[in-house]
Amino acid sequence: MRRFASYRDFDWTLLGFVLLICLIGIVQIYSASVTTKFAGVHTKQIYWVLAGLVAMFLISFIDYHKLLENVHWAYLLLLGALIAVPVIGVTALGAKRWIRLPGVGLFQPSEWMKLVLIIALAQYISSLNPRDVTWTDIFKALAIVGLPLALVLKQPDLGTSLTFLPALGLLLFLGGMKPKQIAAFALAGLLIAPVVWFKGLKDYQKDRLVNFVHPENDPKGSGYQIRQSLIAVGAGGIWGKGMAQGSQTQLNYLPVTHTDFIYATLAEEQGFVGASLVLLLYFVVLMRLVQNAQMAADRAGTLLIMGIAAVLVFHILVNVGMVVGIMPVTGIPLPLMSYGGSSVMFTFLALGIVMNVRMRRFVN
Amino acid sequence: MEPKSSASSSAKKTPNQNRRIYGLIAFLFLWSCLIAVRLFSLQVVRYGEFTQRAARQQQRTVEVSPRRGMIYDRNGHELAMTISVDSVFAVPSEIPDQANAADLIAGVLQTDPREVLARIQSSRNFAWIARKLDATASQRIRGLNLKGIYFQKESKRYYPKSELAAQVLGFVGLDDEGLGGIEKKFDDTLRGRPGKMLVSVDARQRSLGRVEKQPEPGSNIVLTLDEKIQYIAERELERAMQETQSEAGTVVVQDPQTGEILALASHPTFNPNVFHTASPQLLKNRAVSDIYEPGSTFKIVTVAAALQENLAKPEEMIDCQNGSITIFGHRIRDHKPFGVLSVSQIIQQSSDVGAIKLALRLGESRFDQYIRAFGFGSQTGVELPGETRGMAKPANRWTKSSIGSIAMGQEVGVSSVQLASMVSAIANDGVYTPPRIVAGMVAPRTTPTPQAVVFKPAEQRRVISPLTAVQLKKMLEDTVLFGTGKKAILDGYTSAGKTGTAQKVDTKTGRYSTWAHIASFAGFAPVNNPAVTVYVSLDSPRGVHHGGDVAAPLFGRITQQVLAYLNVPHDADVRHSRYLQLRAAAKNADLSEGSPDRLSDTVEFYGDLTADAGPVPALSTSANSSKPTPNEQERAKVIAASFTPEQKTQPRSVDPPMPSAETSAAPAAANGTVILDSEGGRVAPAFLGKSVRSAMVAAQQAGIEIDVIGSGVAREQAPAPGQTIPPGGRVTVRFSR
Repeated sequence: MRRFASYRDFDWTLLGFVLLICLIGIVQIYSASVTTKFAGVHTKQIYWVLAGLVAMFLISFIDYHKLLENVHWAYLLLLGALIAVPVIGVTALGAKRWIRLPGVGLFQPSEWMKLVLIIALAQYISSLNPRDVTWTDIFKALAIVGLPLALVLKQPDLGTSLTFLPALGLLLFLGGMKPKQIAAFALAGLLIAPVVWFKGLKDYQKDRLVNFVHPENDPKGSGYQIRQSLIAVGAGGIWGKGMAQGSQTQLNYLPVTHTDFIYATLAEEQGFVGASLVLLLYFVVLMRLVQNAQMAADRAGTLLIMGIAAVLVFHILVNVGMVVGIMPVTGIPLPLMSYGGSSVMFTFLALGIVMNVRMRRFVN
Repeated sequence: MEPKSSASSSAKKTPNQNRRIYGLIAFLFLWSCLIAVRLFSLQVVRYGEFTQRAARQQQRTVEVSPRRGMIYDRNGHELAMTISVDSVFAVPSEIPDQANAADLIAGVLQTDPREVLARIQSSRNFAWIARKLDATASQRIRGLNLKGIYFQKESKRYYPKSELAAQVLGFVGLDDEGLGGIEKKFDDTLRGRPGKMLVSVDARQRSLGRVEKQPEPGSNIVLTLDEKIQYIAERELERAMQETQSEAGTVVVQDPQTGEILALASHPTFNPNVFHTASPQLLKNRAVSDIYEPGSTFKIVTVAAALQENLAKPEEMIDCQNGSITIFGHRIRDHKPFGVLSVSQIIQQSSDVGAIKLALRLGESRFDQYIRAFGFGSQTGVELPGETRGMAKPANRWTKSSIGSIAMGQEVGVSSVQLASMVSAIANDGVYTPPRIVAGMVAPRTTPTPQAVVFKPAEQRRVISPLTAVQLKKMLEDTVLFGTGKKAILDGYTSAGKTGTAQKVDTKTGRYSTWAHIASFAGFAPVNNPAVTVYVSLDSPRGVHHGGDVAAPLFGRITQQVLAYLNVPHDADVRHSRYLQLRAAAKNADLSEGSPDRLSDTVEFYGDLTADAGPVPALSTSANSSKPTPNEQERAKVIAASFTPEQKTQPRSVDPPMPSAETSAAPAAANGTVILDSEGGRVAPAFLGKSVRSAMVAAQQAGIEIDVIGSGVAREQAPAPGQTIPPGGRVTVRFSR
């Protein structure tokens, strides 16, 4: 088996679009934070993007087959870390999500698990090739995801645990789930939903979901965030108010402007034109991912890229949906644009895997 | 792009998988479209709505108060100005130890710490601690260097001359609203237009202000007042009030040619810088708001009308019927049994009988016309709030005796300003000029110079001919020289005027007071080319209380100083020997004559007062036969009980006797005469100790007619209590203080 890898086959187009989004993000982070106590975070974001690029190139060198073959070690390691979190974890923002690693800093196992689960699921389902998934396979896949998901849900971290699901669903779907199985899944979901509602969700989580439907119920809590976000977006108009001119952003009506609500500040300051353009850029990036998935040398590569695409789509869908008021507030950042080291690192590592698969598409 | 590698790689995938991928792409595309549509709906379709919502929560429009205009006197001296002072507010959430801060601040302000603490605790973000502090207090609070305590510049009205012209200027409240005087009347002019500040409010309600519209400062107002003349008037008024122990007093100094008021004093007064400590009674401008019967000064109107209508000549002799006249059942006596007096002497001696006779010649409606022409019964239009119209009933509502009462200044109500303006009309050769106190307005931020302001007289009207005016001027000059106004003789100037002594209407009961008077003097100087009209009134002077005794000297002192201040050339020798003699003689005259000026001294009532029958035949001779001694004249008072019928039926409490040197003087004789009748009569009730009013009520109830002599408390009566009164007989009751 000849493994051929060259930077000639690196997806420079994809990288160009990705960096364009990152640039817009950095500018918007600057605009949203320059008058606040967060002034200067855009510089940190630049460092994170540079670090992400390095990580992306590094991971693209390791043949993704090696990643697939050894993913069980990473999975077990992170599972262990997740079990350890409640015991030795660090509490911040009302949840225990981090472990302090001597000399490295804070380490969030659930973020890494997100990536590892994609690889693990791609590995598992591609190993079934060429047959379609059976009920047994489905339950096994469910178990692979369910174990860490339960642990993350207990931290509690609903947002991150939800990001485990889109890869599972998409890869099972591409793995050849029958319509009957899909229907059964949907039915099971419907039956479980009330149980989750009454037993699994905490009050504030329920509030968020209810307030998404009726923001006027809670004008000062999470309903407040939705309302302020809508005002910011709506007041942006067609052309926007201009950089650092968005009054919703600059007067602190919008919460966490440079992270979760970065798209709202973009919509306010750059208007319908800017917001649509960025939306289009994301669409191009995702299409490029799908194209790369279809060009992959083997099924594992396809599933790997599609799993990554699924997670990114989920992030974008939920975040932008939240900003424009058609999704509940969940605290999920917008990939490539929101400020935050772990989000940037995850996205660039994921993109590195995409490059990885693409560089090795000419097998034999 | 890429070579057709997808075809080769797709062979390794299930065909199903590619279809599913296309399905996913479709889903992704639809979702993107959904978001785009949503963005379009929010940002394009509902743009206006969200912009409004954003503005509503982010922007507040705050008024920026304009600088209030200044008030100047006619020479551009500041009478009211606006200064910048500190107000203290707290941002309570920033104060580490609120109780301690409250203690410290209360220490400086000398208030209750609990009150300060309550203010601090009233809000998290903003609380006024003290507004418009003086410089030292704000400096001391600054010195405390407290965290969370801030200062805001605010404007405060400041009256640099303190009490001077306080009632004219008025005062302003905490929020710059004019609450009295010129400040109230011209509030809109002085206030200016508030500016607008657009304040952006952030999510934590902190505001970042930006002035959108600059406030327009108020216009400045220039008064016709002259600070110096005002000062003279107030100083002399205060001195006279102390000397006479008067309760109140007013002074009007007016330019007779233009109607401009040069000084308007009303005492007691207050300091408008601390107006909140003054009682409401002090705040009102008595000279324009208070209404009272003028008394004899009103005889000027009577005589002026009679002369103008050619019903009398100045030297024409009028029979004053030995000082007694009966009109429609009311008998009115002069303070002296005047024989035949010239019209001029009627004014000089203030003969009621003479004035009444002249009024009767005029007739009701003509007399009424002149009263109105001189500005009585309507507002003069002087630019001050709360001006009274006075009280001048139209002729068709007069009772039969009204013409007599009005002729001598009763049954009409006037304000000081009305009366001064009437006298000014005489001084101004018969042309009435409405009084004015505002010379004009000047644009903000410009200092007024006398030239900058247009002094134009208000609409004038001729009331009497110049000839009549000259005749009256002469009479009034003679009044000063030879009549009741000798104490108004000036040094180096001729002067003219008329004294007045009126019974005060008790505002509580609406009836005449038997002991409180308003002594007044209305005059002008110099006689031939008058520079000023001066009207003074003193409310309830104690002891000597006649216009000639207490008001004329006040007039003299003020006029003398004002004329000197205005550099009016002398029109008489400075130490005019005749003037000096006359003035010296005035004192003797006072002592020997008793009161020089008096309204209807005694009113005797004939028959049933309520009956509107014609003249009652004078069946009693008692009054005629009685010859009052000077002492009696001194104490004899008007008992004007006839004006409103309801007064008669109401009992009246005993008026407090006035402390007076003459109180102890016993009446010389009981000169009430009882007409004896052969038929038996009733028993005389006890009137002793009763006031005039209650005695009359008692008499009426008992069906007995009484003759009233004097005023005050009943001291003697004849027949004595318990004695029988002959049928048709009368009881004479003698009152004194």
